[in-house]
Parts: sequence; structure tokens; C-alpha cells
Amino acid sequence: MATLTGTLEDASATTGRAGAGRIRRRRKRLPLWHLLWLVVGALYFFVPIYSLVQFSMEGGAHGLAWFHWYRYIFDQPEFRTTFWLSIQISLETVAVGVVLMVPTVFWVHLRLPRFRPAMELIAVLPFVVPPIVLIVGIIAFLHPLTWLIGRPEVLALIYVVFALPFLFRSLDAGMRAIDLKTLTEAAESLGASTFRTLVTVILPNLRAAIIGGALLTVAIAMGEYTVASLLGFNTFPIYIYQTGEALAYPAAALSVISFLLTWGAMLALFLLGGRSRTAAQPVLAK
Amino acid sequence: MTTVELRGLHRRFGDVVALEHLDLSIASGEFISMLGPSGCGKTTALRIVAGFEWPDSGEVLIDGRNVIDLPANRRNMGMVFQAYSLFPNMTAQKNVEFGMRIRGQSGDKRAKRARELLELVGLGAAMDRYPRQLSGGQQQRVALARSLAIEPGVLLLDEPLSALDAKVRVQLRDEVRRIQLQLGITTLYVTHDQEEALSVSDRVAVMSNGRVEQIGTPAEIYGHPKTAFVAAFVGTMNQLEATVVSASDKTVSCMGFNMTVHESRFDYAVGDTLKVFVRPENLRVQPLANGDVPAAGSFAGRTTSFTFLGPVTRVGLNTDLGSMIADVSSALALNLTPGAPVAIELLPGSVHTLTD
Ligand SMILES: Nc1ncnc2c1ncn2[C@@H]1O[C@H](COP(=O)(O)OP(=O)(O)OP(=O)(O)O)[C@@H](O)[C@H]1O
Ligand SMILES: [Mg+2]
Repeated sequence: MATLTGTLEDASATTGRAGAGRIRRRRKRLPLWHLLWLVVGALYFFVPIYSLVQFSMEGGAHGLAWFHWYRYIFDQPEFRTTFWLSIQISLETVAVGVVLMVPTVFWVHLRLPRFRPAMELIAVLPFVVPPIVLIVGIIAFLHPLTWLIGRPEVLALIYVVFALPFLFRSLDAGMRAIDLKTLTEAAESLGASTFRTLVTVILPNLRAAIIGGALLTVAIAMGEYTVASLLGFNTFPIYIYQTGEALAYPAAALSVISFLLTWGAMLALFLLGGRSRTAAQPVLAK
Repeated sequence: MTTVELRGLHRRFGDVVALEHLDLSIASGEFISMLGPSGCGKTTALRIVAGFEWPDSGEVLIDGRNVIDLPANRRNMGMVFQAYSLFPNMTAQKNVEFGMRIRGQSGDKRAKRARELLELVGLGAAMDRYPRQLSGGQQQRVALARSLAIEPGVLLLDEPLSALDAKVRVQLRDEVRRIQLQLGITTLYVTHDQEEALSVSDRVAVMSNGRVEQIGTPAEIYGHPKTAFVAAFVGTMNQLEATVVSASDKTVSCMGFNMTVHESRFDYAVGDTLKVFVRPENLRVQPLANGDVPAAGSFAGRTTSFTFLGPVTRVGLNTDLGSMIADVSSALALNLTPGAPVAIELLPGSVHTLTD
């Protein structure tokens, strides 16, 4: 990669003068209304966020410290318990989802490629079927397991279904990006079992796909309201809702916190995914 | 060392018969190439030997033991693939060590052996590079080192050089052969490139439609093709219809021109018609003055086309015996004028029949 970029840069350095002129002229031609459009678009996104942040800091007007409502939220035992519960459920969802889906998608790609379209169809079902129908179905299915229904882990099992489309898409794309068949056969010819191949050869090359799928899964599990409320669990989204019902300022602060969390997760996805995607690229450099 | 025997391998994919009762046996330490056109079943045969594919019937014997029921990861065969197959998350060294690690060898031993093997393939300095930092040819070298690291009984290569450019291909094929000879490893090499097969193999198995058409040394395959398919597939052949004039002298005649067939077996009677074959490089072409009659033992024709191939020029001819092709040394080809009359002579011992 490095050498490739190097040669490209060298090439543009030698032909640089003429090229730079052309580029500068093109940049100058960028119409003003393009810029305007950009500003309008940015405003559309940033004004609500700004208002939210501003509102959450409003405490100052009431003679309170700027970050009063944030401190208030962080001091709530409810905040901490519900937040950790949701984190815990998210991680469980990721664990169950990954353990379930990685071998499945691997197997479908390797041995049953004809089954892949069917798999794709199954994977979009959670989008098509209304959540409420899904929940009623799942609960009816889990009903005999009364001990499970009462535990928060049941949410993880349900969220796995919601996360299925994202996990599948992400893993599917990841496996299509590498030569799964050849890599697997190479490992097997060297004596590796299928399990060992999966763990030492395939998984490391699916890092970006797994991280991407996992973060989307976390986003779903951290934000899901309907099921948690129906089953009566006090998760983070429920807490946000209840706070919002009763207390406007803390709710705004809470929204900002949850927004920052989501944004942080996306940034992590972008950074981790971006880095290992370049690492997996089969660039041929002399 | 290790012998390999394919016995009656049969494999269908739906309506396509990929292998039709294929038999092939490879002596210990021998380098055999499977050569054939696309779709003739080479890869299928190799993958059955490797354990990635299964025959409908037939056996694969390694040292006399049938391994059909053994999974690929227990066959201890080195395999080099056509597609780049290095593990992208591992350095060259870690790739080479992979098989040894699975065999539970200690870290010191692995590192030492990996270095030896990478030096053997000329990449001692690239141990710490990742596959993405290696050229295609270098990646295939590492893949070769990796497959040799498990000290395989058999080395299998499926068109390992086909993705590389011509120069690297020639260089690497010679290196594969050098290493194979050095280690004395039994090798099955799949290719559709005849030059590759002829230049590196002990024996070449020419395949067509799931069967071995002919197996023999490169010289036998090139000099004495047994079937019309082999004659047409390996190199270029002039093909002539002839009639037997004398069975004992093995003399045949084509349009009144007599030729002696160079073949130890000649099961024809006087008056039989047969096909005879002459390689283009065995035609001697000389300019002929207008109106002259060619000397005894040669026949007349006119040049129709010239294709410059470097050391030789391929000359198209319209002769008394039919249209033919001659490979003439490029220096001598300068004496020939397009469309001008020429006298053509066949080198002694160059006329063959199919021996099957
Ligand atoms: N998995 C498969 N499913 C269906 N048909 C197959 C399969 N594998 C091979 N075939 C068919 O079997 C025949 C032999 O294929 P094979 O790959 O062995 O040919 P090959 O000699 O290696 O050709 P090439 O030089 O193009 O690699 C072909 O007609 C191919 O289409
Ligand atoms: Mg093939």
C-alpha cells in the first residue's frame, strides 16, 4: 500500500504543475449555491442538536451550574443501573448474535452457496414483520421457559432477531470480500480442522465485518423500547422515556449523553472498520 | 518416498462428465503435469487427490493405501492454488509456520524452518511482510514454501503461475522444478500451458474430456503424439492425407509425393489411407526460380503468409500436398518473397503417424 501510494504521489509530483493548475481552476468553478445547499443541509442537522445541547445547559439561567443537569443525571442511581443493564444486554446480544451467525454465514458461503438467497430473505424478515407481531410470536415461543421470561437475558435473545439483518449483511459482505473457499482449503490442506480454520484464519480477516455488525447490534439493543417496556424491564431507553415524561431539562441532558454514546460508537466503527479494511485489501506492490 | 495412483476416477456434475474413469500413476519423486484444455477435468482430478472433491467411483492410492475416506486436513499433501491463498492477517513467516504450528512444533523450530524455506524460494528478506506487501509472484513463492513446510508426501499445484506475467511465469516454473528435484517430492502439476508442461515435467499426461489421452515424456508427447487430439493440442502439426505405397518400407504417398514414415509400429497394408503428421520446424523451405522443378525429394509450393515469431518466422504455404505451415529461421526467411514459388523438403525422420 505504502509503495503504491508512493508511486502515485511521485507520478503526480512530476506532472504536478499542469495538474495543480487544472485542479485549482476546477475548485474555483464550484458554484456558490452548492455551498449554500451544504450549509442548509448542515443547519438541518445541527440546529436541533444545538438547541438540545443549549436546552440541557439552560440550568445556568436558574442560577445553577452549567452542567448541573448532567451531574444530576449521573448522580441518579436509576441512570447507572439502567445504563449498565442495557450495556450488559447489548454485549449479550452481540455475543449470541456473533456466535450464532459467524459459523452459519461461513457454512452457507462455503458449502451451501445456493442457499444464500434464501438466507438473505430470512435475514430481512425482521424488517418486514412488524415488531409487535414478532414479539408476540417470540413470547409465545418462549412461554414454556418461564424462568427465562423473567430474566433480562431474554431481551438479548429477542434483540438477536432484530439485529439479524445487520449482522447477516455485514458478515455476508465481509466473507464476500475475502476468497473464503481458497483460504479455507489452504488451511485445511495444511492440516487445520474446520473450527481451527474459522478461528485462526477466517475470523481475523472478518474483523471489520464483525465490528461493524456488532456496533449496529449495540445501537439496536441500546435503543430498543417496545419489547423492554412490554416485558417490564427497566432498560436505558425506558429510563430516558420516563425521565422525559417527568423532567424536561434532565431529559435533554440524557438525550445528549445518549447521542454522544451513539456518535462515539459510530466513530469507533468508522475508525476500526476503515483501518482493517485497508489491511485486508489485496494490493499488489512490488 | 511416496507414490500416487488414481484408479478409475469417475465424476459427474449433473450432465457434465468431468472425469471419465481416469487412471494415472505417479512414481515416487516424479513430476507429472496434467495438461489439457479448459474444462477437461484437471482441477477436478487434483481436488479429488487433495480431498476437496469426491469421485462417484474410483480410488486414490497413496503408497498403495486408498485415501478417499480421509479428510483433506489429514492427507498431508502440499497444495498451491491458482488464486492467491496466503492468509492476509499473517506475515510470510507466519504463513509458512501455519502448518507446523498445527502439528505442534516448537516456536524455535518453526522459525528456523520457515527461514530455510523462504530462503529456498528466494524470499529470505521478506519474512516479515504481509501478503499485501508482496507481488503476485512473491505470494506464490510463499505459498509454495508454506505447502512444503508440512513436509508433504505429495505436492499438488493447480495452475499456480497462471495469474503471473510471462517472464515471472518462466522464472518461477524453473524454480518450482529446481526445488522439486532438490527435495525429490512427488508432484502433480496442473496446467493448460503446453510449454510449461513440456519444460518442467518428467512425464506429461495430456487430458481431454475427463480422460488421459496420452502419457509420456515431454519428448514422446511432442515427437510421437498418439492421438489426433494430442497432435493438435501440443504444438502445431501439419496434417496430410496419404496412401500406403509400401508397407515394409513404411512408404506413403501424398499427391504422388513419397514419404517414409518414422514409426516403429506400422500396421497398414498397401493401398490403406492414413493421416501423417509433420512439425512445422521440420520443413525446409527454399526459394525456387520461376519455372524450375523442385529437386528429387522435395515438392513445390508458394508462400502465402509470414508471421514473425522472433527466432523463427512462421510461413504459410500453399503446396502441391495442400496448405502447410513451416517455421523458418528468421534470418533465412528474409530470402523468401511473399507469393513466390518455393521448394519444400521434409527433414529425415520427421513424418509420423498416430500410434494409437
Ligand atoms: N462444482 C462443480 N459444479 C458443476 N460443474 C463442475 C464443478 N466443477 C467442475 N465442473 C465441470 O466439470 C468440468 C471439469 O472442470 P474442471 O474444473 O476440472 O476443468 P479444468 O480442466 O480444471 O479446466 P480449467 O483449465 O478451465 O481450469 C467442467 O465442464 C466444469 O464445468
Ligand atoms: Mg482448472
